[in-house]
Amino acid sequence: MNILTLLIFIPVLFGVLILLMPSKWRASYKYITLLATLVQLAISVWMYVNFKTGAAFGGINHEGEFQFMQKLPWIHLDLGVMGKMQIDYFVGIDGISLPMLVMSALVMVIATLASWEIKSNLKGFFALFLLLDMAVMGVFCALDFFLFYLFYELMLLPLYFLIGMWGGVRREFAAIKFFLYTLFGSVFMLLVMIGLYLSVTDPVTGSHTFNIVQMMNPANYADGAVFSTVSQATILGMPARVVGFVVLFIAFAIKVPVVPLHTWLPVAHVEAPTPVSIILAGVLLKIGGYGIIRICFSIFPDVAVSGAYWLGLLGVVSILYGALNALAQRDLKRMIAYSSVSHMGFVLLGIASQTAEGISGAMLQMVSHGFLSSMLFFLVGVVYNRVHDRDIYNFRGLGSLMPKYTAFVMIAFFASLGLPGFSAFVAEAFTLVGAFKSQSVNGLLPYWMSICGAVGILLSAAYFLWTLQRMFFGSVSFKGGEVWKIALTDITAREIITLVPLAIMALLLGLMPSLVFNVINDSVLAFANFLKVG
Amino acid sequence: MEKFIPGTENDLLLYTLIAVFAPLLAAIINFCLPANRKHAGWVSTGAVLTSAAMAAILFIHIWENKTFHVQQLWFGIGDTKVFAGIWLNNLSVMMLGLVSLIALPVHIYSIAYMHHDARFNRYFTYLSFFCFSMLALVVVDSLILFYAFWELVGFSSYLLIGFWFTREAAVQANKKAFIMNRIGDVGLLAAIIILFSHFHTFDMVALFGEDGLVANAAIFNHLWIAPNSNLPVAWHYVVYAGIFLAVAAKSAQFPLHSWLPDAMEGPTSVSALIHAATMVAAGVFLLGRVYPLFTAEELDAFAIIGCFTAFMAATIALTQNDLKRILAYSTISQLGFMVMAMGVGAYQSSLFHLVTHAFFKCLLFLAAGVVIHEMQHIKEENKLDINPQSILYMGGLSGKLPVTCIAAIIGAMALIGLPGTSGYLSKDSILIQAFEWSDSKGAYFKLVPITALITALLTAFYVTRLIAKVFFGDFKLSLVNPNLKFHISDGGWNYVLPLIALALCSLFPLFSSNWLQYEDSWLFEGLGKIGYADTESVYHSLIPGVLTASSLVVIATAFFLYIRSKASAHSGPLFRVSYNEWYVDKDYNKFVVQGVLLLSNALYWFDRNIIDGIINLFSSITKALAALSAWADRYIVDGVIYLLTVLVRRTGNFVRMFQVGRVQYYLYSMLAAVLILFILKSMI
Repeated sequence: MNILTLLIFIPVLFGVLILLMPSKWRASYKYITLLATLVQLAISVWMYVNFKTGAAFGGINHEGEFQFMQKLPWIHLDLGVMGKMQIDYFVGIDGISLPMLVMSALVMVIATLASWEIKSNLKGFFALFLLLDMAVMGVFCALDFFLFYLFYELMLLPLYFLIGMWGGVRREFAAIKFFLYTLFGSVFMLLVMIGLYLSVTDPVTGSHTFNIVQMMNPANYADGAVFSTVSQATILGMPARVVGFVVLFIAFAIKVPVVPLHTWLPVAHVEAPTPVSIILAGVLLKIGGYGIIRICFSIFPDVAVSGAYWLGLLGVVSILYGALNALAQRDLKRMIAYSSVSHMGFVLLGIASQTAEGISGAMLQMVSHGFLSSMLFFLVGVVYNRVHDRDIYNFRGLGSLMPKYTAFVMIAFFASLGLPGFSAFVAEAFTLVGAFKSQSVNGLLPYWMSICGAVGILLSAAYFLWTLQRMFFGSVSFKGGEVWKIALTDITAREIITLVPLAIMALLLGLMPSLVFNVINDSVLAFANFLKVG
Repeated sequence: MEKFIPGTENDLLLYTLIAVFAPLLAAIINFCLPANRKHAGWVSTGAVLTSAAMAAILFIHIWENKTFHVQQLWFGIGDTKVFAGIWLNNLSVMMLGLVSLIALPVHIYSIAYMHHDARFNRYFTYLSFFCFSMLALVVVDSLILFYAFWELVGFSSYLLIGFWFTREAAVQANKKAFIMNRIGDVGLLAAIIILFSHFHTFDMVALFGEDGLVANAAIFNHLWIAPNSNLPVAWHYVVYAGIFLAVAAKSAQFPLHSWLPDAMEGPTSVSALIHAATMVAAGVFLLGRVYPLFTAEELDAFAIIGCFTAFMAATIALTQNDLKRILAYSTISQLGFMVMAMGVGAYQSSLFHLVTHAFFKCLLFLAAGVVIHEMQHIKEENKLDINPQSILYMGGLSGKLPVTCIAAIIGAMALIGLPGTSGYLSKDSILIQAFEWSDSKGAYFKLVPITALITALLTAFYVTRLIAKVFFGDFKLSLVNPNLKFHISDGGWNYVLPLIALALCSLFPLFSSNWLQYEDSWLFEGLGKIGYADTESVYHSLIPGVLTASSLVVIATAFFLYIRSKASAHSGPLFRVSYNEWYVDKDYNKFVVQGVLLLSNALYWFDRNIIDGIINLFSSITKALAALSAWADRYIVDGVIYLLTVLVRRTGNFVRMFQVGRVQYYLYSMLAAVLILFILKSMI
């Protein structure tokens, strides 16, 4: 049994178990889910420990350099004149996927612990939760575009129901908006995927293939194929490869989300229950960043280079626009949702710089944001569960009433605003270093982008500290009066157990960023090199 | 692993690490202690005592002897290796000694000062964490680490300003302090990023050390040239601007000075340590570290800004009534002197003033703390509704608080710069060199030293006003309230001992055997000769004489004004400008803060109505199209089908009329058909 396959499908096994169990055992579902995620975490940590580094394990565009690979023929159809259809079950990881897997596995554990708040229809919730878990892991491991797309679409279904059934007041609206928004992106991705399939042939078998790694090699494109680098085919008057890149980019940019494709995020977050918010912010957004690296940039490196300026610009706009919007929010959860937009802007800026520093910074930012946004959304959930309100102006002086809670809020806020010692600082600093260096290394991004990005760090201090001042400090006064005062008890042991690992990870990665950099470095260098060569 | 630590240097490394990490350990211990244990104070004090001892050993080894630099790989990113290490030279061991030496009396003082606070051990957690960050800041060798501790210092200051977090003013102040400092941090970060991409290293020794990369990088033909990279010279100015912002934020220079007076919301012991003696000097320290970077014009700009800040702050201090606020503005003013000194090339005078100022300003704050503490007592005992920090209620306290009074007077003399104090040595050295510097410049540059001279006299005035209003004359509260009970004293040894120690350190013997000549000071000599021209100009005898004489006149006048004639001038536009702190904060609030909020609200409106509006428009269009096609489907597509069926039915019904089963009808119809056929045929 391949360890990756095990990692991907373990949640489904447990999910089936939950479905088969009688409903009177419903109290045990959450423990089963917790067990599933813990097993998954253990597997991913084992892979992290056994992950081999070195120039020979760069991955990216060399199939042989991926690790824990499994490749099985899946759908091989003889289509007569049209050739042979070749879809493989092909999974494997390199330095780009590994940190995402470990991070997602941990976030899933946290999300499970946050699911204690779910009270209705537990069987459905946990079954869908585990299905989502499988799809997420699958996306990070898939190296066959068809498989990737399958997992990618498979995420939507559970999410739609998780938001639509267990969400807030306007949950149906939010679920539909989220679903259609993402579907809009992925439907066009399907077209590009088919175009790529028809353009690329497997050099060994000679048949068309969905193999992502082979799509990265220009030599595998048939002459005259629509996405061939040589043929210069056009779609609607635009170069086909540019169209392909843009379509894929839009699909992933919706996930990241990149301004102006971000408006699903605040709605979805505000309506989603806490565990789903955690998964959304912690894991789903990273699939966007991961997809941009693994699919967009790797399959269309030429377009990535020529369009880097615009990508960087979108990154900077996201950073500043998200931060300013966060400053304008009254709803705590919405504020954090916009801060996610701002922080994910750094990811795009770093990737667009195409320097080793920028890409490493972006990777670390994704991991760090995974932990920190989980922490932030969990913390919002704590208050919301107690009084069903999260308007910043309805609270004052929480610090006196809930000191432990406030301590964790301060850790999460300061870590998010990039206090040195926490992971976000190293990530954001090196993203900016990479963006600035870009001009002299590869001439892609102008110097000013990095400087503008730095202003985002200033704004993040403004919105987080302002929130702290308004909600947590000052004398105690609540909109709900005495009733709230009684309801707002300090965090429980379970909540502390949930928060501590996240805080520790943020601190650990801030003090020893090498924990991430060591495993990603070879892949990042290979990737930067690959983009440079084209 | 790349280690280059030969035998004996291991010890130096060990001492440094102990000095830096002892306070961190104390912070962790105090954090874990159960709430409100009084051991916390001694844990922290012990840690800082350890640091002081280690600093002393390091000082003996390093001072005027050698530099010490070790580093260790921290992490690699791409092909870049980032090192973490320690760089000890005269500057850093001086700061190491200064910080731990000032922190020690402040810790002892705090044990008494914070005794009744419910969050006693939290206070010492923060205080120790501050000491850790500050001590680390002065010894690290990498720009990344420097930035990290630079910001951690600001963070611990945030925690301590907002220590009493239920007070609205305190939490407003700490937010403001952190955000204004963040402006500086972003500047510093930008500077670091540019320096790194230009020189490919974060190592401060390689960059700013003797014969370092920065010193060797030439500016030529509008290009800033480094070994492997050329940047347009504009980026040199951006680096300068970034560092300027960093210095202005941390050392409270115009235009980023306004957080410091508000920071006085923190406990007074904190103000003494952080917002007077150590952290605010970090900006000047940064200037000292990166000094080789600046060109002559850039240094001139520092001189002008520093001089302006010094003057502005001094004018504001003239009219304030809050005891701590006066001292805060005086701190800003003195920091302005230091920055100006850096600008005029008086590198060692600037750092010399940094050291002397740290002692006497800390002394003044601790004395102020005693006064405020006792005023608070009176307030509580008599249930008065007064601000215990306002000097309007004070007066005549010299009899009640003799030690505090003498200590404050010594601090005040040093601040004014009267002979016999340390302040005299350092301030005069700055002024003399400022005049020498202006000689080599254009006529307008004379304004800088002259303004500085005026500022020194203003200092004499406001300091005298402060001392007179607090310690001499009549006790104002007794005048309005003759039955006032007050039992006040200097307090226990925790208060008295730090005051005496710091007072002694504010006198000349610590720094020089010669009480008139700053050149003879060992500290001044030890800081090296960077940019120092050893001239024998007329200023060396002129300035001290003129300044001392005129200061004495000003002191006498001020004393007379406030004690004898009890002057209270409260009018005039100049008074209003000064009293309202040059309207800086009001304007910031009106333009910057409101502007950003307005922008953010506008963008949120844009987000909801335009961006999301477009999305919603799409969905509305889709819905409308769907409705349209549903209509078309029902009335056109289905309509046609329906029409067909209706037609068929009608036809059927019509034709059915003929099928009735009677032969006569069939005959009639056949006849009719034949007739019609016949008629049609004949017509054609």
